[in-house]
Amino acid sequence: MEFSAPFFNEFAETWSRQDGYRLARTLSPEIPTEQLRKIYMSQNAHEIRNTLKRGLQGNAALVGGIEHAEVQGWVEVYAAYWNATGVILAARESSGDDSRASQLTWTKVYEAWTELLNLLLRGYQNAGFEAWTIPCLYVVSKNLRTFAIMADEERNSKNPIDDSAAANLQDDFDPETNKHQKLEDCARVLGRVFTLCQADRAPIEESRKWGSYYIANLLLKTYFKLNSASLSKHILNSLRAGRGDMPDFSAFPKSQQVTFKYHQGVLAFLEENYGEAEEHLTDAWNLCHKNAMRNKELILTYLIPCHLITSHTLPTEKLLEPYPRLQKLFLPLCRCIKRGELHKFDLALQEGEDEFVKRRIYLTLERGRDIALRNLLRKVFIARGFEEAKEGEKPVRRSRVPVAEFAAAISLGSQEKIDNDEVECLLANMIYKGHMKGYISRQHGIVVLSKSGAFPGTRV
Amino acid sequence: MASSQNANKKDSKTAAEAKPEQAVTEQKPAALEEDDEFEDFPVDDWEAEETEAAGGSGATQHLWEESWDDDDTSDDFSTQLKEELKKVEASKKR
Repeated sequence: MEFSAPFFNEFAETWSRQDGYRLARTLSPEIPTEQLRKIYMSQNAHEIRNTLKRGLQGNAALVGGIEHAEVQGWVEVYAAYWNATGVILAARESSGDDSRASQLTWTKVYEAWTELLNLLLRGYQNAGFEAWTIPCLYVVSKNLRTFAIMADEERNSKNPIDDSAAANLQDDFDPETNKHQKLEDCARVLGRVFTLCQADRAPIEESRKWGSYYIANLLLKTYFKLNSASLSKHILNSLRAGRGDMPDFSAFPKSQQVTFKYHQGVLAFLEENYGEAEEHLTDAWNLCHKNAMRNKELILTYLIPCHLITSHTLPTEKLLEPYPRLQKLFLPLCRCIKRGELHKFDLALQEGEDEFVKRRIYLTLERGRDIALRNLLRKVFIARGFEEAKEGEKPVRRSRVPVAEFAAAISLGSQEKIDNDEVECLLANMIYKGHMKGYISRQHGIVVLSKSGAFPGTRV
Repeated sequence: MASSQNANKKDSKTAAEAKPEQAVTEQKPAALEEDDEFEDFPVDDWEAEETEAAGGSGATQHLWEESWDDDDTSDDFSTQLKEELKKVEASKKR
């Protein structure tokens, strides 16, 4: 909205209603280029501050209660916003313009936008901006991150890192570090925004603590992109430490709860705390908006491997039905696990390796091999049938299984002959991990399985 | 601009709902190449009825199943396995 009467009326209106989300829209860059141009053209660098001061002050008198320092703070904020609109306009217009191809236009946008966020921060620190206005921080912070990513992309595409140049640099030169230059800077700035929210000591109803989770989510997304789990942990710890003074988690908007739980779950997953991961991801799943298909897909990408480890359960076809991508990712493996097709499981794991590694679920899924093996051994056990039943007694399964039978089952499907020592090793491992109850009698070349629950938790 | 402003005021709720959508369309050209990032929800908050957990009572119970399958014994692999086991048994008896 250009800085004229309607804008000042809007400002006064949101002020009297204390509607932070509506106020935040006046600081959004996510508007059509035409509108952006109108805003920029409505002022010039000489007049902008005076216009703003007159306009805001005039209306402030209308609403009353707005301090001089606060007005001054907003004047600076909107002047910085106005300045940024000009830079964004230039960036949007220069895309596709070869004469400006060498210019890093989005870097300039990032810089102008950082200035805006800094002035906003200063408003809270020094000019007494009230907590109901924090959606402004959301909008500005969120877009800072977007601009950082765009600036990095633009720079990387215009100056691809030259291999020969890199080779001339010192050994510790890491092209990856440079790749995310602006995003790393952005993470530092967002860290300050987080502290600003988290450290507010005002009574809870009017505290910036209400902004903690929104900003924490932005930071977590940023750290994920930068591949820094340790920095993410730092945020979680800080929130945990301050929990006593925070509003109850369930009082935050569900979008914030779900996003937070997702990241918390994935972090636990990466640390191989599968029980904890399952808990968080299940919370995220249950609270997620039912139409947010992509996010539900992402939650399941980690929840499915969790289930495999914690409770040895697999997704039903009904669960996967709406997600073709997940079907492709998981169905072949699940089928092999269920049937105990060990060799095909290995092939399926190999087949999907790139995708699994990219999603950071490869190592977890690999552990599904144990379950496939368990199911295979179980099949051998069942196929052997029952002892001749004595009269009046329940039939008992034949619990002595030759190692050779297990060996035949394990090498089934693959062309390789597997030697007995290796088979015994696999069996011993199964017993050690509690997937199978019994002992190996090497002397007789048999496995003596428990008569009561040879394969715990599987009804035999 | 002024007239749309008035419209906004008259019905600020519709405006509030329409605007984020507009913003989303505007953002699309700048879509990131790697989109395996958790997405922003188009709305901030929703009712319990709109959550996944509410989608059909009891539905959650049918999402997970046991990892073994006793019914599925007629597939190629099971048949093959039985034959293989018979062979081993036969060679033992000889």
